[in-house]
Amino acid sequence: MADVFIGLEIHIQLLTRSKVFCSCPADFGREPNTNVCPVCLGYPGVLPVLNREALQQAYMTGLALHCTMAQRALFDRKNYFYPDMAKNYQISQFSHPLGVNGWIEFDTQGERRRIRIHDIHLEEDAGKMIHTAEGAQLDYNRAGCSLLEIVTEPDFSSGREAEEFLQAFRTMVRFLGVCSGNMEEGSLRCDANVSVNHPGKGLGTKVEIKNLNSSRFVRKALEYEIRRQSRLLRTGRKIVQETRLWDEKRGRSESMRTKEEAHDYRYFPEPDLPPFWLDERFVQEAEDRMTELPLQVFDRYLREYQLPEDTARYLAEERSRCRFFEQTMEYYHHAKTAGSWIKEEPAAVGGPESGRVTPEHFAGLLKLCDEKAVTVQQAKEVLRLMGETGDAPEAIIEQEQLQGGVAEDELKAIIELVISRHPDTVKQIHDGNVKAVGFLMGKVMQESRGAADPLQAKAYLLEAMGISEAD
Amino acid sequence: MKYEPWKALTASDQTRRAYQEALVRADSEISSLLQIDTECGAEDCRFDADSSLAGVPFSVKDNIAVRGFQFSCGSNILKGLTAPYTAAAVQRLLDIGALPVAKTNMDEFGMGSATENSAFQMTRNPWDTGRVPGGSSGGSAASVAAGLVPFSLGSDTGGSVRQPAAFCGIYGLKPTYGRISRYGLAAYASSLETVGLLSGDIDLLQEVFAAVSGRDSGDQTSNSIAPLNRPEENTPVAAVLSGMEGVTPEIAQGCRQAAEAMRSLGWEVKEASLPSLKYAVSAYYTIAMAEASANLARYTGIRYGYRSSRAVSQEELVRKTRNEAFGREVKLRILLGTHVLRSGFQDQYYIKAQKIRTRIRGEFDQIFSQADMILMPVFPVQAFEAASGMTPLQQKIADRFTLTANMAGIPALAFPAGLQDGLPAGMQLLGPAGSDELLMHYARCLQEVLPKDPLPLRLDPREVLHG
Ligand SMILES: [Zn+2]
Repeated sequence: MADVFIGLEIHIQLLTRSKVFCSCPADFGREPNTNVCPVCLGYPGVLPVLNREALQQAYMTGLALHCTMAQRALFDRKNYFYPDMAKNYQISQFSHPLGVNGWIEFDTQGERRRIRIHDIHLEEDAGKMIHTAEGAQLDYNRAGCSLLEIVTEPDFSSGREAEEFLQAFRTMVRFLGVCSGNMEEGSLRCDANVSVNHPGKGLGTKVEIKNLNSSRFVRKALEYEIRRQSRLLRTGRKIVQETRLWDEKRGRSESMRTKEEAHDYRYFPEPDLPPFWLDERFVQEAEDRMTELPLQVFDRYLREYQLPEDTARYLAEERSRCRFFEQTMEYYHHAKTAGSWIKEEPAAVGGPESGRVTPEHFAGLLKLCDEKAVTVQQAKEVLRLMGETGDAPEAIIEQEQLQGGVAEDELKAIIELVISRHPDTVKQIHDGNVKAVGFLMGKVMQESRGAADPLQAKAYLLEAMGISEAD
Repeated sequence: MKYEPWKALTASDQTRRAYQEALVRADSEISSLLQIDTECGAEDCRFDADSSLAGVPFSVKDNIAVRGFQFSCGSNILKGLTAPYTAAAVQRLLDIGALPVAKTNMDEFGMGSATENSAFQMTRNPWDTGRVPGGSSGGSAASVAAGLVPFSLGSDTGGSVRQPAAFCGIYGLKPTYGRISRYGLAAYASSLETVGLLSGDIDLLQEVFAAVSGRDSGDQTSNSIAPLNRPEENTPVAAVLSGMEGVTPEIAQGCRQAAEAMRSLGWEVKEASLPSLKYAVSAYYTIAMAEASANLARYTGIRYGYRSSRAVSQEELVRKTRNEAFGREVKLRILLGTHVLRSGFQDQYYIKAQKIRTRIRGEFDQIFSQADMILMPVFPVQAFEAASGMTPLQQKIADRFTLTANMAGIPALAFPAGLQDGLPAGMQLLGPAGSDELLMHYARCLQEVLPKDPLPLRLDPREVLHG
């Protein structure tokens, strides 16, 4: 056995309208090289102007991560040549990061773990180089977008842990509203440092793994790397300090550069940006914008509403869900029912793009359902229509004549009809295929437009086929 | 009313055409201008603005952006680049109706003291075409001294405005760091350099300064500090730098003459020393080259400017473009700048240089607690002969009087202090941060008592339209 140490370097693109040092829009999906200006293209003579909102969002993230925050924001130049870096240096924070010595908790495998944060620092993103048949092409739309790097201490010991952390972290930054958290689009990116060593020997040689573009890759790449280093260790070979690139298609990593080939970034203080003082007003504003974090919400839902864990976890994943749930609870008192409805009907309620259902109308529907004025089946249909129209549940029930229950003779007529239409199924049931009852039940519910009471319908159905319930 | 003849030159398409032709003719012997275009800026210029500068033409060093004009920085690597935007200082002048009519020659990226490091042409000193105009804003100084334009925008990283001003017998202001926006000035050494002003007319210089100074949202190192005031009744106190080893007798004589002029005005004149001056050159070049190595990294041929046609990979494209298009002095400074920033060497070079910088600041503070200004030469020698006058190393060492002001971020004004041996011997006044206006005031006083020598004009605005 060996000790495993994993640290993550997470980059998040902040949700600012404009880039971090110029006024270009920072939105995705535009034609290449349309969100650009002399500043982010690195023309001679241009100067950076710090985007205060980027600093605000970075500061909020630092607060969420319990970092000791700097009193002034200082920037450095990180020098390296790469075609997608317009100036061939990146404005970043090196000697004085915005936040240091933080921590964050997350739940993994039924346990609450605390991860230490080494530092967070604000910097500018690079453009994108795309390799095509005609050669390399450059798109600078992303160049200069606000990027926040979060560096954890080497506190993870498995790929699974890192994967789960990344999911929790993603939820948190989305909750804070500082990042869309979309790994596929690259708005959340992750590199990892892995060190496997003999038990009790502490940190060994550090290997950096790059190109982890989804949380699933993170796990696979880390497990691969742990196996690779463990094997070297077991066979007494040397682990080389290097940077490796994860190749998802081939399911393996390959060495990109060794320590000897590592960049000397020649950091020095950015002369174009004077210190930005994070004064009382700035700090107050960031504090006022802070929200309860997902883990706190989760704990509170268990405590206050006695929700089942999976429901609480689901709600605490998105701010919109929490808001909808809590507003519903102003009109309705069965938290568990409301929670599970929101969880089961994401298209209708709780999502950022779900329909026009208000929490008050939603609560009204749940009450009608509780009073058996409508069946659950019907309520789902009513909810769908509420989302389309924005009308109150009563109005929809009235208009669609969805009052709960079906008259006994009407239900029996439906059952006769279903039995006559499916003689083969009836025969199967008589031959002992009891499961086929479900098929007929579905038909009955369909014919009654969900209005039938399922228990009653089943009893009548079995009776009509001459089968006793006990069978 | 003073600038009427100049305004007449820019008044219409027709007069601008005549001015264009006159500029081409007048510049033929001194080659101070890289691009002459009296029409290009007219579209953006508010000729009808309510300003005494409306209609006044000016030239701009080719490392300052003016939309539609070339933007070469005197380098082959930016040959063919047209500026896509306008520098803040130029924009402020356009907004009050002043018209940029030419881009001036310069040492490549401002690296040089003779305008001999230009990739394009050698500029001649209008006083003696066998001599250099100084540098790096040599084209700006020569164009003003020859009367092609009444004023010019240059840049001063370690003396690049004042030294050519001194060589050409005109005023050259390096303002307090931050008082003029650097937005649009191609960076060489960001923490040291400023946009600077050159003119033969101290009143015009002051008017231009008033127009271009002040905080600009495009440059976060710019500010709107209140200009320093001095109680009228107090007698000005001038400190003359003592221990001026290595200056020529002519320069020493010029300095004595300026001190004498001060005494004749009733000012108190005393001596002062800058003990750290001997470290200043090394510290300055360490910082300047370090910053240059990063600032010039963007020139790769990928997005604009010169591009090597011999490369087969992107790494090679960058390497070959830079190797083919940068001049020797630029390469030297990039290499040294890269070296001093290497990890493990920073303490020895870059950080030590910053400490010396702090010490120089302290020494200036000390002097300014007892004096309003410091008088010292701009350069140890007068305009030297072209091609062989001074080696690049000698030129660097000779920057010691000018670069201290850049190290301290304080204002310095080169002023004509009379001719010695038929050539200008420029002196400079240094003052505490924010004393830019005061320095111009002192220079105006000195002008009354110093000899007035006519500039070697090659263009008379009155004759252009009637000749
Ligand atoms: Zn931009």
